[in-house]
Amino acid sequence: MDFMVLGPEDLDAVMVLEQAVFAGSAWSASSMLSELNSASGHYIGVFEDKLIGYAGLSTVPGSFSSDVQTIAVAESARGRGLGRSMMEALIAKAKAQGSEQVLLEVRIDNQPAISLYNSMGFERIDVRKRYYQPDNVDAVIMKLKVQQPLVLGIESSCDETGVGIVRGNRLLANALHSSMDEHSKYGGVVPEVAARAHLEAFGPTLQKALSEAGVSIQDIDAFAVANGPGLSGALMVGVAAAKGLAIANDKPIYAVNHLIGHVGADVLERGYVQLPTIALLVSGGHTSLLLVRDLLGDAQLLGETIDDAAGEAFDKVARLLGLPYPGGPQIDKLAADGDPNAIRFPRGLSLPKDMEKHRYDFSFSGLKTAVARFVEKAEAEGQEVNRADVAASFREAAVDVLLTKALNACADFGVNRLLLGGGVVANARLREAAQQRCDAMGIELRIPRFSLCTDNGAMIASLGAQLVMAGHEPSSLGFGADSTLEVTVVQSM
Amino acid sequence: MLLAIDTSAGTSAAVLSDRLLSLVKFDDPFGHAEGIGNVISQALTDAGVKASEITAVAIGRGPAPYTGLRVGMAAGLAFAQARKIPVHGVMVLDAVAHSLSFPKLLLFSDAKRKEIFVAGFDNGVRTFGPEVMQPADLEGFADYEQIAAVCDAGQIGLYALSQLAQGADLTDVSALYLRSPDVRPSPPKKVSG
Repeated sequence: MDFMVLGPEDLDAVMVLEQAVFAGSAWSASSMLSELNSASGHYIGVFEDKLIGYAGLSTVPGSFSSDVQTIAVAESARGRGLGRSMMEALIAKAKAQGSEQVLLEVRIDNQPAISLYNSMGFERIDVRKRYYQPDNVDAVIMKLKVQQPLVLGIESSCDETGVGIVRGNRLLANALHSSMDEHSKYGGVVPEVAARAHLEAFGPTLQKALSEAGVSIQDIDAFAVANGPGLSGALMVGVAAAKGLAIANDKPIYAVNHLIGHVGADVLERGYVQLPTIALLVSGGHTSLLLVRDLLGDAQLLGETIDDAAGEAFDKVARLLGLPYPGGPQIDKLAADGDPNAIRFPRGLSLPKDMEKHRYDFSFSGLKTAVARFVEKAEAEGQEVNRADVAASFREAAVDVLLTKALNACADFGVNRLLLGGGVVANARLREAAQQRCDAMGIELRIPRFSLCTDNGAMIASLGAQLVMAGHEPSSLGFGADSTLEVTVVQSM
Repeated sequence: MLLAIDTSAGTSAAVLSDRLLSLVKFDDPFGHAEGIGNVISQALTDAGVKASEITAVAIGRGPAPYTGLRVGMAAGLAFAQARKIPVHGVMVLDAVAHSLSFPKLLLFSDAKRKEIFVAGFDNGVRTFGPEVMQPADLEGFADYEQIAAVCDAGQIGLYALSQLAQGADLTDVSALYLRSPDVRPSPPKKVSG
């Protein structure tokens, strides 16, 4: 049965039924309105000309617990299983939100309702004396345990082999193997080196994740794998391994979007991800600005880099300054003693003419070239280059343009939330400046812990788990790796 | 019950008892990642065998174009790890040679970058290779029957069974790349003239 989601506009219809069903103990219109308006509430109803049934659920974000607030069926519509199907819809919603239990209270003299809840798996856990007034009737508190799925996620889009395990929205394991050291002599990630490393690292990383979580692979309910965007040859190793595991265990598989995985990582930090949000994902492979209204169904790419990724720019500038790979931490260290305003390096795509076409896009190649020119010119003129000033000024330019564009997006779309993800989040100046500028604008800044910001398997497991919890069908076995997968495709079927 | 997987040329999987029970092949030299799940699943179905009944896995470990090769290896290694069963590694040209019978046999396959992977066999016993050669190098092996090798999982499985019966060691399951990753550290370039 399909239900309408009720909002404040349905108040009148709800109050008519509320008063008809509950008479003296009915809620007031003002309490009902605040329920219908509540961000943590979910009210559903059935209309047949007029409203004949409604029910409401409340889930406090991060509590892993939902409460059935109310349920009512018009007298004329009873005996059709409407109560049961509305309860089933609320339980499905609770499950999708990551709740591990659903609680309700019911009048002790309402035996038909208690029987219904019992038959759905609810158990009596407590009695509250004289809870219902003015009738002076006791309430029975009942609880349904919700078993959330155990999902194993695989990440291999760049140089990190990640295997994570979650149960619902809870993090159980986040094992990682990085081939970064092998790339250091080349000054950047080499796709073939990364792909070779994934093949060798996968088995040990899987083993590590299973022991970290204390589960056996037979216990896994579903497998998830990032199938793009990223390096094709690297992605294929993860995709193939995931298929091997899923077939061996006869369990479903979910092919999910790596970038949306980054946005969803915050779920593992506090049990939910607050939406809508602007997400700025910055790493050695991506510089993407997203508007996410619904993790599983409404993500929009606002802009991305048109040349180098931000992390790549840090690596290249580090090389110019004679620093080893990866460049981010090196620049950070050197910049600590430098003057960020010593040299005014360009902010890419920030001129009025660029802003028309590339308001949310980034470009770091010009910045890198400007740094190179500055250093070469100074050297040609026999001047001593203050490397700390160069590093600090470069970092300031990169951070400034990243945050300016992200905060523009917050303002333009009226979204007071900014989420950061990707390896460049390790940059101390980026985090500091983001906090200052968000505070100044009244924007809530979310930065998950570093191990959930960099590429990791846990975020892929988490996104897979959310698809399972929301009742999405698994992917078929025929999906491939897609190096340019669009952010609008959360799951490849 | 042996599950054999090979992605050295096309994408294929086979199930064997003491003989070949099923073989499913996609000949497309691309699309390994797309096809790998379906060939394994179909090979199990065709043989009427459940994943839980498989007692060992055999994988082709190359030499072969790298990106495709890794797909079959990753799937086979993961399958074996999930079921906690042994996995056997097979050099793909050995498997092809096992299916042929010539006194002097040279097998070659595409190694990309205008090179070939080569191995030579005298009466079924490998005498050289696998190694990377230039196509012109084949002129030096005029006394050999020269055949372009295209391996599949059926050949991998049959070869593995015959070797295991003789007590051979197939425990090396690392990929046979035969070349380093094609990169050299490059010096920074000047941007101003």
